Amino acid sequence: MSTPVLSVQELSVTLRLGRQMLTVVDGVSFDLRAGEVLALVGESGCGKTKTAEALLGLVPPGLGSVRAKRIDLGGKDLAVLGEPAMRRIRGREISMVFQEPLTALDPVFRAGQQLASVLRRHLRCGRTEARAASLDMLRRVGIADPERVLDSYPHELSGGMRQRVIIATAMACRPRVLIADEPTTALDVTTQAQVLAQLTALTRESGTAILLITHDLGLVAQYSDRALVMRRGRIVEDTLVGELFRKPGHPYTAELLATAVGLARPPAGRDAAGPTP
Amino acid sequence: MSAAPDRQLGGVSDDTAALLSVRRLVVRYSDDVATRPGPGRRGARGVTAVRSVNLDVEPGRIHALVGESGSGKTSLARAILRLLPVESGQLLFRGQDLLRMNAGQLRRARRHIQAVFQDPQASLSPRRSVLQTLREPLDHFRLGPAAGRAERAMAALEAVGLDTELRYRYPHELSGGQRQRVALARALVSEPELIVADEPVSSLDASAQARIIDLIRELRETRGLAFLFVSHDLSVVQRLADSVSVMYLGELVETAPAAELFARPAHPYTRALLASVPVPDPGHPPPVALIGEPSSALTPPTGCVFHMRCPERIEPCATRAPGETCPRGAGTHHRVKCHLWNN
Repeated sequence: MSTPVLSVQELSVTLRLGRQMLTVVDGVSFDLRAGEVLALVGESGCGKTKTAEALLGLVPPGLGSVRAKRIDLGGKDLAVLGEPAMRRIRGREISMVFQEPLTALDPVFRAGQQLASVLRRHLRCGRTEARAASLDMLRRVGIADPERVLDSYPHELSGGMRQRVIIATAMACRPRVLIADEPTTALDVTTQAQVLAQLTALTRESGTAILLITHDLGLVAQYSDRALVMRRGRIVEDTLVGELFRKPGHPYTAELLATAVGLARPPAGRDAAGPTP
Repeated sequence: MSAAPDRQLGGVSDDTAALLSVRRLVVRYSDDVATRPGPGRRGARGVTAVRSVNLDVEPGRIHALVGESGSGKTSLARAILRLLPVESGQLLFRGQDLLRMNAGQLRRARRHIQAVFQDPQASLSPRRSVLQTLREPLDHFRLGPAAGRAERAMAALEAVGLDTELRYRYPHELSGGQRQRVALARALVSEPELIVADEPVSSLDASAQARIIDLIRELRETRGLAFLFVSHDLSVVQRLADSVSVMYLGELVETAPAAELFARPAHPYTRALLASVPVPDPGHPPPVALIGEPSSALTPPTGCVFHMRCPERIEPCATRAPGETCPRGAGTHHRVKCHLWNN
């Protein structure tokens, strides 16, 4: 549990805004250990999403520059890899799930085509094999009628179904690392609970570590092992989740915790409220 | 639906006179696109988005309507505002049925029922300054002498905590939180008794959200304004509402005073909804996931609307729709539609 699968050293992202240069990620270093869920928390605009994009090599060169001493993923330094090499790694060794499933899926392809393309590209399997593996993945993310979903276009699916398809696609090659950027923010609470239960079961089974980007301290408390608190491009706190809530080390963390909204008094267990028919 | 005496119907009040009483309201869409046959929806014709809903909003109280996407809460809110055609039922505002009013009567009534929508970017005209936007209701309803209207508009702006310096600004020159305040000021300027607010804080970030919530609470206190507050966010509802109705697949499955609903939820769906919210405390048990997807409104289940996903389903649930009762031990203001309590 303690070997890092992803080790980030001094990652910076600078964006070009007209003539100005703006450093949105400023010398960020952290380790993601095998099988853990590491939360990256902070307010909008603090640089969480840009950190994720930089790790995946998704910051377009024209937009700004990414610098890092080293981004180590299983012995490879992602900081020096070119785009062709990154293409072999993305989706296979490190995957991502974004906030808005409708923009992450291509509207002109059926869900099944998109899921199968990942398998065919990375695992070099044939059509039939890819379809069987896709059906299996959809079943594992809790889809009861995987055939129908595979043959549907994204607009024919509900938000929860779309996000399940994305998760199945991201997890299809059992990557070492999954970056999930606000994966359930667009979903209803009951759907969020379902999707996160399926996602964590799936990653536990394959030993995938998750970098969970969120602004929701409820998700940090309930689903993460460790947390990084980010503010203005810097990590101000790196700690175990239990510690974070019990004894925040940085004044900004304390501030963030104080504004946390959640149900003030959680509902009592079923027995306490239930009827006795 | 058989006619029952009014005190048996939903809502929270039976001793106080309600400001708004919704009775057996049905909203149905028969749009071609919504009902075009597709996978799993063959033969479906029309969608009943609101199924015989009863609801009361008392003067000076905040009644929240919670539910997930597709539950019908926005359809219900829009029907109350008469922005959607209603299939059947009554919308009694101070005892008068809004559905039976002629154009002139409705226009006069609307002064007292105003609306705030989710996205102020869409609900404010981009071509009108703040002052123009706030003057319009006064001109439309011909309130007070024309000369005093700009002043009244500015008073509304101040009431929502905005500087009158902003009066010549256009929506794109304001932040999201400021825009939503302008939308709220526009709703206030005609001095209504009821504001129907559909997800008014959902598009705002946490700090802007908190300020709008404080403002709504303050308006209830100082002006005795009533709100029908539509939201999917249970933590917002808990901080704000006096009473709550929970909607699922077009039906109000539970209605109760807010404190009671959060402390002693009676309907299995309400309990599942509350149990799904992740609590920001690592010592708290993790969220419990419901099983299955909500049924489609195109092919609603027989019996109870929730029975297919209900962890506490009993024998009559699949076949017979439950009537409305008070949970045992709860006050008469707590109503639930569930067979578990029906004996």
